[in-house]
Formats: sequence, structure tokens, C-alpha cells
Amino acid sequence: MNAKLKKMWSDRVLYLMLLPAALFFCLFHVWPIIGMKLAFYDYRILGDDVFVGFKHFRNLFSTPVFSTVLANTLIISLMKLILIFPLPILFALMLNELVNGPFRKFVQIVSYLPHFLSWVVIAGIWFEFLSPSTGAVNEVLRLFGFPAHDFLTDKQAIRWVLVASEAWRSIGWDSIIYLAAILAINPSLYEAAYVDGANRWHIVTRIVLPHLYTPMVTIFILNVGFIMNAGLDQVLNFANDSVISKIDIIDTYVYRVGLINSQYSFATAANLFKSVIGVILVLSTHFISKKLTSKGAW
Amino acid sequence: MIAKKFTFSKLLIGIILSGFTLTVFVPIANLFAKAFSDPGKVWMLRGYEILPKGFSLIHFEVIFGNPIIGRALLNSVIITVTGTALSVFFTTMTAYVLTRKNLVGKTPIMIFLIAIMIFEPGIVQEYLVMKDLHLLDNLWSMILYKTINVYYLIIMMRFIEDIPDSLTEAARIDGAGHLTTFTRIVLPLSRVPLLTIGMFYAVYRWNEFFKSSIFLSSRDHTVLQVLLRQFVVEKDSTTLVGATNLLENNSIAQLDFSALKAATIVVAMIPILMLYPIILKYYTSGVMEGGVKE
Repeated sequence: MNAKLKKMWSDRVLYLMLLPAALFFCLFHVWPIIGMKLAFYDYRILGDDVFVGFKHFRNLFSTPVFSTVLANTLIISLMKLILIFPLPILFALMLNELVNGPFRKFVQIVSYLPHFLSWVVIAGIWFEFLSPSTGAVNEVLRLFGFPAHDFLTDKQAIRWVLVASEAWRSIGWDSIIYLAAILAINPSLYEAAYVDGANRWHIVTRIVLPHLYTPMVTIFILNVGFIMNAGLDQVLNFANDSVISKIDIIDTYVYRVGLINSQYSFATAANLFKSVIGVILVLSTHFISKKLTSKGAW
Repeated sequence: MIAKKFTFSKLLIGIILSGFTLTVFVPIANLFAKAFSDPGKVWMLRGYEILPKGFSLIHFEVIFGNPIIGRALLNSVIITVTGTALSVFFTTMTAYVLTRKNLVGKTPIMIFLIAIMIFEPGIVQEYLVMKDLHLLDNLWSMILYKTINVYYLIIMMRFIEDIPDSLTEAARIDGAGHLTTFTRIVLPLSRVPLLTIGMFYAVYRWNEFFKSSIFLSSRDHTVLQVLLRQFVVEKDSTTLVGATNLLENNSIAQLDFSALKAATIVVAMIPILMLYPIILKYYTSGVMEGGVKE
């Protein structure tokens, strides 16, 4: 113990250098986390908050809106998870078939860009893209003889718009991990396969795909861990009165109830529920992934 | 090596990739075309066209001439630049300390960091903390918010671990303190990682709109993304053109609102496009270093 204290004393400059970080983390992480105890209290502007136990949670679980937003969150997350997951893999495989030239460069530069745009900007782009009067999508529909359609106000279509715009934003960028895994494959494997008479299809299915197994499993499992986050920034920008009932998620609900209606305690209860499930999911998926692929979330 | 001969499957792949690339490229290029079009001809521009109809900078003149937009743009720049500089410095300094060998207490610190990384307190509590700190409607709220992102800190630690111990040890033996070793040895050797996490932070800060819309409520402190959301999502056109502007300038009354929106979106994209070559160069290595999740 004495030796430890001595070492700490000799490293005192190091601990001083940690002070700013400690201050930031206490103010912007620890303090709000402690503040979540408000879920068990009634908020009072003047005087002390009143302890009410699980009252807000009982109210929360008996509110029909909450089951709707919970269902919406899971449905949207699962749609994105299952439908988008294979696309970056296919994209990387196809990109790998291209000769390394200007066309491939162009595909990469263009397809990575949306990842760096804010959801406000993407919504702006997509509103024009899907515009019933002048949008490119409806121009193409008309070309094939279909009537123009306003997808953004269609309850049946809006979740698909979320999936499509998320795919549009992430396919290119998310393919980088897979592309890197493909580029790391030892070329002598291909040569040996060709000598044995393999064709391109054999190469892809027997050599390339098995090398993508680790990143595939890791990314899939870790995405399951983030299932409670259905995409707040995206929904906030794509929502409108006609479709909100289909895409109202926990995060938008917390924002509305908590900050617009100022029901701090009730909204904190909803958020605490979400955060606890989130922690359980992230931790368990991290350890499952560590076990299967030796790679975790951090 | 791999035979690269022309086959039907290659043609198919070419078509699919071109198709996807065009669905990304055309809508973005179309917005640029709209923003630069002649106001009188904007209505002629179809959704799939990528060249402007005529040429005019009037939409940008209106935007930059609008004091509200100018102010929001300035606020965005202040938050992005100051915030990124602080973030990069403190993240690197913390990463330096946490990568020192035999640091007493490193394991509990790391557990603490991972705990606060995965436990999200949520917007209501963050709002109440900013309120208690009297930082609401103050640019500092967004500059200080998440100054150190734990995930980027872990990435930075992996970068610093790659610096050979011999270099830092040599400096220590020569009598340099930790602060000197950090500023004279580690910082100059970390150009690539500094740029990488600098890009991470800058992109995040420039694009942030949700927290800004909550913490920065008054017109004077609003940021570009929040204002843009008002035009694009809430379709609030009076702010964009400005009532006084409408009265003073007849030609503005005839401007196409969708072209003005397009021009604002273009302005919000410009810093990203300017940084894009650097982003492509360094961001990728950061993603690799950090493993699989951003």
C-alpha cells in the first residue's frame, strides 16, 4: 500500500493532468446520471422533490402511448438492422470486383459522403428527392406510368422512408470495415485457388466471405445492442403530423413529454427504462461478441 | 493475381454500383443546381437534373445578407472551432495519462469511463444540468457539452500506445516532466491521430442540431443546423427571407423559396465538403483503429 501511495505521489503531475477530464465527466455525465433519481420523485420548482417510489413507472406502463412508442422503436430498429445489415457487405464485395481506377474512386468518394451530413441536411435532400411534383423518384415513377406519390405523408410508407434514407446514408461508409477485411486477405490464397481451378464465384464464396465472418458477427451483435436507439435525429427531421404515430419512438416521446410538456419526472422514468435496457443490451452483446469473435464494443 | 476480364457479372456489378452512386449523387447535385439557378428559371429544373438553369448567386446573397442566418453561421463556426480545439487537446492529454504504464488506478478509471459511455442519462437530465450551471442559451453549453467523448478517447489511447516507449522514456530520463513529455514529444508525434479525432469532433459539432435546439433557445445564439431545420422541416419561410428584406427588396419577393432552402443546405454542406479530402484521408484510419463502432 505504501509503495502504491509513493508511486501515486511521484505521478502527481499525471493526476493533475486528469483533473480537467474528471471535471468534465462529473459535470456532464455523473451529475445527469445521479439526476435520474428524479424518476422516483415528483419534481418541485421550489423546495425539495417528493419521493414517490415507482409511481411514474406505473403510470408509464399503463399509458397506451408508451407501448406504441416502444413498439415503434423496436420495429424501426429491427427493420433497419435486418434490411440494411447485408447491404454494406454486398457493396464491399462488388467494389472489390472493380478494377482500381477512376470509376471505383468515384463510387467510393460519392457513397461515403452522406455519412458526414447532418440529418437536417439529409432530410432537406430527401424532401426534394421524394417531392411529388419535381422529385427524381416521382419523375421515374411517372416515366414507368405510375402516379406520383407523396411518401413523406403516407403512414404505410414512412417507415420504409426511414430505412431507405438510413441505407442511403450508411451503406457506403459501413462497407469500409468489410473492404479493409477483404484487402487484408493474403493474395497467395487466390493464386493457390486459381491453380486448383477455382473460378471467381468460388473465390468469393470460399475465400472472401469466410474472411468477412468476424466483422459480420461483431457488427451484427453490436447493432443489436443499440436497438433501443431507433434514430432520434432522423425521426425528428422526417416526422410530420400525418405520420408521427408510425414513427414516434422512445426518444421523441421523452423529448416531447419532458421538454415540451415539462413533465420532468415522468420523462426521466421513461428515459431510465430505456437506458437500463440499453445498458443490459450493450453489455450482453459486448460479451457475446467478445466470446465469438474476440472483438467487443470497445 | 486476380484475373480482371470482362464478363456479364462484371457488367451487372457495374450497373448496380452506378445505380446506387447515382441515387446518392443526383439528389445532392440537384440541390446545388437549384441553389445556383436563375430565380426565374428554377421552376424548370426537374428532380433528376444536375446542371443549373441559368446561373445566379442571388440565393446566396440573400442568405448571407440575412443577419439571422449570418449570426447562426458565426455561432456554428465558433462552437465548432473552439469546441474541437478544446476537445482535441483535453482528449489527447487524458489519453496520454491513461496510457502511462503502471498508473495506479487505471483499471477503476477505465471501468468508470465505460460505465459513463454506455449509460445515457438522456436529454431531460442534461437540460436540467445545463440549467443548474446557468449555461442555457449560452454558446459555452454546446462548446463544453461532451468535450471529451469517451469513445474517441479510447481511440486516441490506441494511437498513443503506438508511440514507442523508448521515445517518452528517453525524455523522462533526461529530466523532462510529464507535462513537457506530453507537449514536446507526444503532441508533435501525434499529427495523424490529432487530425483524425479532430475530424471526428469537428464533423460531430458542425452537424449537431438536437442538443443545440434545446440548449440554445434565443435567436442570437441559434446555430445554422437549427435554423436550417426550421426552413426545411418546419417550413418557416418568413425567417429565411426576413420580413424587412421582403419590404425593402422587391426582387426577393419573387424568389423561389425551395431554391433558397437549397442554397441554405449547400451552405451547411460547404465546411464538410472543404474538409472532405482530409476526412477521407484520416477518418478511415480512425475507424480502423477504433474497431467496428463509431
